[in-house]
Amino acid sequence: MGLASTLCSILVSWALWGAGLASAAEVLVLSSERSPSYTDASQAAVSELVRLGVRRTDIAQLYVSELATGDLGAAQGTKVWITLGSDALARALQREGRPALVSALIPRLGFERLLRDNPGKTAAPALAVYLDQPFGRQLDLMRLVMPEVRRVGVLWGPESTAQQATLLAAAQARGMDVVGGSVTASSTLFSGLKSVLDDAEVLLAVADPQVYNSATISNILLTTYRARIPVMAFSPAYVKAGALLAVYSTPRQIGVQAGALARTVLQGGAVPASQYPLEFSVVVNEHVARSLGIVLDEASVNERMHRMERRP
Amino acid sequence: MMFPGIRTRMLAAALVPVTLVVLALVAVFWTSRVSDLDEAHGLRTRLMARQVALASEYGIFSGNVAALQAVLAGLQREPDVKSVAVFGMDGRMLVSSGALHYNGFKEASNTTYALHQRNQNTDVVVEAVTSGNVPIDDLFSPSPGARGAAPEVFGHVVLEVSRARLVTRERELLVLALGIGLAGLVLGGFLATRMGEGVVRPVLRVSRMIERIGEGDLTPSSESRPSDPLYGLQTRLNQMAQRLAWGREEMEFRVESATRELRLKKEEAETATLAKSRFLAAASHDLRQPTHALGMFVARLGQLPLDAPTRQLVASLEASVQSMQDLLDGLLDVSRLDAGAVQVQTGAVNMGELFHGLRKALQPLAESKGLRLRLRPGPYWAMTDPVLLQRMVMNLANNAIRYTERGTVMISCRRVEGGRTVRLDVADSGIGISPTHQADIFREFYQVGNSGRDRAQGLGLGLNIVERTAQLLGHSITLRSALGCGTRFSIHLPVAQAVEASAALLPPESQGVGGVEGMRVLVIEDDGFALEAIRDLLSSWGCVVHAAASVTQALDIVNAYAAPDVVLSDFRLGEARNGMDVIAMVRAHARREVPACLMSGDTDAGLIQAAKEAGLTLLHKPVRPAKLRSFLRRSAMAAEAPDSTEL
Repeated sequence: MGLASTLCSILVSWALWGAGLASAAEVLVLSSERSPSYTDASQAAVSELVRLGVRRTDIAQLYVSELATGDLGAAQGTKVWITLGSDALARALQREGRPALVSALIPRLGFERLLRDNPGKTAAPALAVYLDQPFGRQLDLMRLVMPEVRRVGVLWGPESTAQQATLLAAAQARGMDVVGGSVTASSTLFSGLKSVLDDAEVLLAVADPQVYNSATISNILLTTYRARIPVMAFSPAYVKAGALLAVYSTPRQIGVQAGALARTVLQGGAVPASQYPLEFSVVVNEHVARSLGIVLDEASVNERMHRMERRP
Repeated sequence: MMFPGIRTRMLAAALVPVTLVVLALVAVFWTSRVSDLDEAHGLRTRLMARQVALASEYGIFSGNVAALQAVLAGLQREPDVKSVAVFGMDGRMLVSSGALHYNGFKEASNTTYALHQRNQNTDVVVEAVTSGNVPIDDLFSPSPGARGAAPEVFGHVVLEVSRARLVTRERELLVLALGIGLAGLVLGGFLATRMGEGVVRPVLRVSRMIERIGEGDLTPSSESRPSDPLYGLQTRLNQMAQRLAWGREEMEFRVESATRELRLKKEEAETATLAKSRFLAAASHDLRQPTHALGMFVARLGQLPLDAPTRQLVASLEASVQSMQDLLDGLLDVSRLDAGAVQVQTGAVNMGELFHGLRKALQPLAESKGLRLRLRPGPYWAMTDPVLLQRMVMNLANNAIRYTERGTVMISCRRVEGGRTVRLDVADSGIGISPTHQADIFREFYQVGNSGRDRAQGLGLGLNIVERTAQLLGHSITLRSALGCGTRFSIHLPVAQAVEASAALLPPESQGVGGVEGMRVLVIEDDGFALEAIRDLLSSWGCVVHAAASVTQALDIVNAYAAPDVVLSDFRLGEARNGMDVIAMVRAHARREVPACLMSGDTDAGLIQAAKEAGLTLLHKPVRPAKLRSFLRRSAMAAEAPDSTEL
C-alpha cells in the first residue's frame, strides 16, 4: 500500500505538470452499456483523471449506442479513449484514424482476440487493464487458503486453452501440478469434469463462456460438490452460485487504474504495457466452506492476501 | 270449469323457471367442477412431469441411470401414472418405467400420439429437462449477459397418466349434480304446487261465481273469505250480481207493464177491427135488402112493355143496380174466401174451352172501348179448378180492359219451365203500374190513382180476390209492368194430360126463360118490399107463389096447401127461428127433401159454413133474377133429388 500511495503521489505531481503543457488534450470515456458496473468504472476513471489534473471539461463520456447515432462532436480531436467493455473496444478499433486506446473491463483473451481481428492502419497505441486476475495471484490465494493443495484441476474450453502455458508456468513456480481437462462441447463437459475431479484437489475455473455459463454452472458445482472438490471461481457471481471463493477486481478499481493509464498515455511518455488489475478483493461463500468443512474468514483472507501482495 | 288448464298452466309457470334455473345451476356446477378437476389433473400431471424433469437433470447430465431409475420408481408409485420415460439429449431412451406404448421419443412427442392416447383416456406430457440456469451477472459473460439466454435442453421426460380415475370422478359428479338438480326440481315443484294452489283456488272460486252469474243465479256467493287473495274481486262480483239482480227485476217489471199496455192496445185494435167488421157486415146486410128488392123490381120493370125513353131509363137503372150488386158480390167473394167456404174442384182443363168462354164474355166489353182482344189458348191442358180460374182471368181481363185506352188486350198460354208449367198471361198495352205500387195492388180496396174512388174504375177488390183464389188453388201469380208500358199478369198452372171427350166442367149457362111455369114456390121473407118484389118476379115467370112474411104464416101456408116444389127463404126472419129452421120444418112436414134455397144479406162466414153443412143452396142478396131462375130450373129438373150445389 505504501508503495502504491508513493507511486500515486508521483503520478499526481507528474500529471499536474503535464496538464499545464497539454491543455488542449481531451479524453473520451466510451462505455459499452449503461449498467451499474460500467457506470462505476466510468465514474472512477473520470474521477481519477480529474484527480490527476485533467480538467473536467476536457473529459467526454459516451456510450456505444450514442456513438452509433453519429454524435461525434465530443469524440472529435480527442487524444485518448478509455473504452469500457468489448463492444466499446471493437467500435474504437474499427474507427479510422483512432486515437490511443486504454481498454478496460475486458478479459485478456477478449482483448487480444479483438486486436487480432482489427489490425488497423494506425500506429496509435492500444493497451488494456485486464478484467481477469493473474494466475499467480489466484494460485497464491489457493495456497493461502488450502496450503496442502498440490493438484489444481482446470477445464479448458476452446478459448481458454490458449492460457494453458501461462498457468502451467505459474503453477510450477509454486510447486503445483495442473490437472487439465478439455471440453469441446457441452456433451463432453461431464466426462471432462469427471476426469479432472478424479485427480485434482481443487478446481480452478478459468473464464470461458463455452465451459462456464449460467446453464452449466449448477451441474458443475453440483458435481464438484459431490466429489467434495472446492471451486475457485473468477467472479463473485459464481461464488454466489456455489463456488467456494474468488479473487476479483471491482469495476471501480479497474476504472481508477484505467484513468491513471490514460493520463500516462496523454502525457505522451513511453506507452505502458497492458496490465492485470492492481487492486483486488477476495470473496468467500461461507455456506459452501462450511459444507466442505473448511474454515474461512473473508476479511482475514483479504487482509492476508493483500499483505502477501505487498511483500515483494 | 272455466279454465280447465289453469292448474297445469300455473304449475308450468312456476315449474318452467325453476327447471331452467335448476338445469342452469346443475350445468354450471357440473361444468365448473369438471373443469376444476380437469385443470387439477392437468396441473398435477404437469407438476409430476416437471418434478421428474427437475430431478432428472443431474442424472442426465451425469448419465447416472441408476439415479434416474430411482426418480422414476418414486414417481411410478403415484396413482394414475401409467408410464414414464427419460430421454437423453440425442433422443435416446435412458430409462423407463411402466408399459410404454410408443417407440422412441419422436413418436411420444408427436401431437397425433398425444391425441390418440387422449382418446384412450391417457394424458401424455412431454417435459423438457433443462439446465438450472443460474443467473450469472458478471463481466466475463458475453454481452448482453447470460440472463436472456435460452436454457439448454438436456433431454426430455415423457409421462403418461391415466384419466380413468378422473373420468370416474366426473361421472360421479354428474350423478351427484343430477341428483341435486332432481331434488331441487322436486322441491321446486312441490313449492310451486303449494303456492299455485293458493292462487288457483281463489281463481276457480271466482270462476265458479262468474259461471253461476252466467247461468242466471244472481244470489250472492257465500264462498268468499276475507283471507282470500281475491276477496276484493269476489266482493265486487257479489255486488255486481246483486245489482244485476235488481236490474233484472226492474227490467222484468218494465217489460211486464209494457206487455200489459201492448195487450191493451192490441185488444183495443182488435175490438176496433171487430167493430169495423160488424159495421161493414151490418151495413152491407142492410144495403143488401133494399138492393135485393130493387133488383127484383127493376127486373120486373124490364119485363113490362115500355116506350123507348122509359126503356132507356130502365136500362140505365139496371146498369146502376148491376154496379151496386157487383160491389156487394165482390165483398161477398172476399167473405167467402175468408171463410174458406170456396170448394175447389181440380181437374184437367182444356185451355181452349176456357178461352172460348172468355172470348164470349169479354169481346163485347173490349169492342165497346175500341180495343183489340186477342186470345191465344194454345193446345194446352192445365190442372186447375175451371170455375175459379175463369173468375181470376175475368177479373184480370176486366182490369186490363178498364185501364187500357187503346191498343190490345191479349190473353195467351205458353209452356214454360221445361214444359212442366203452363203460364197464362193477361197482357195489356195500358198505363202500367209503377214499381212502387206493384207490391200494394193486391191489397183490398187498393187502387192506383183513384183516391177519389170513382166507382166507374171498379172497387179495388178484384186483384185481392185473384190473389186469394190463386193461393187457394196453389197457383203463383207474377206481375211485370212499368209505367206507360202496359202490364202483364201471369198465372202459373201445372200442366195436365189431355183428357178425351172432356166433360164440360163449366156449369151450363141457363138460357132464356122456361121450365119454371107452374112451379109452386113458397117464399118466406120478413121484408115487405123484398117479398113483394120476389113474388111479382116469380109470378111474372109463371110460378105459383105463396108468400109468407113470418114463420107462422109459412107454417099456415104449408098446412093449408100442398107441399111446395121449392122453398125460398130469407135467413133472418126477425124472430127466434131463422130460415134454416123454417126449411127444416117444411121438409119435415112434406116428409121429403124439398129443394130449398136460403137468401141472405149476411156475408157472415159462419152462415155460409152452416148452409153448406145443411146442404142448402145459399143465394146472397141482392139475388140476381138470372141466378134465381137458374136455381128454380135446376130444382125443377132434379125434382126428386135436391141438389146442394154452391154457387
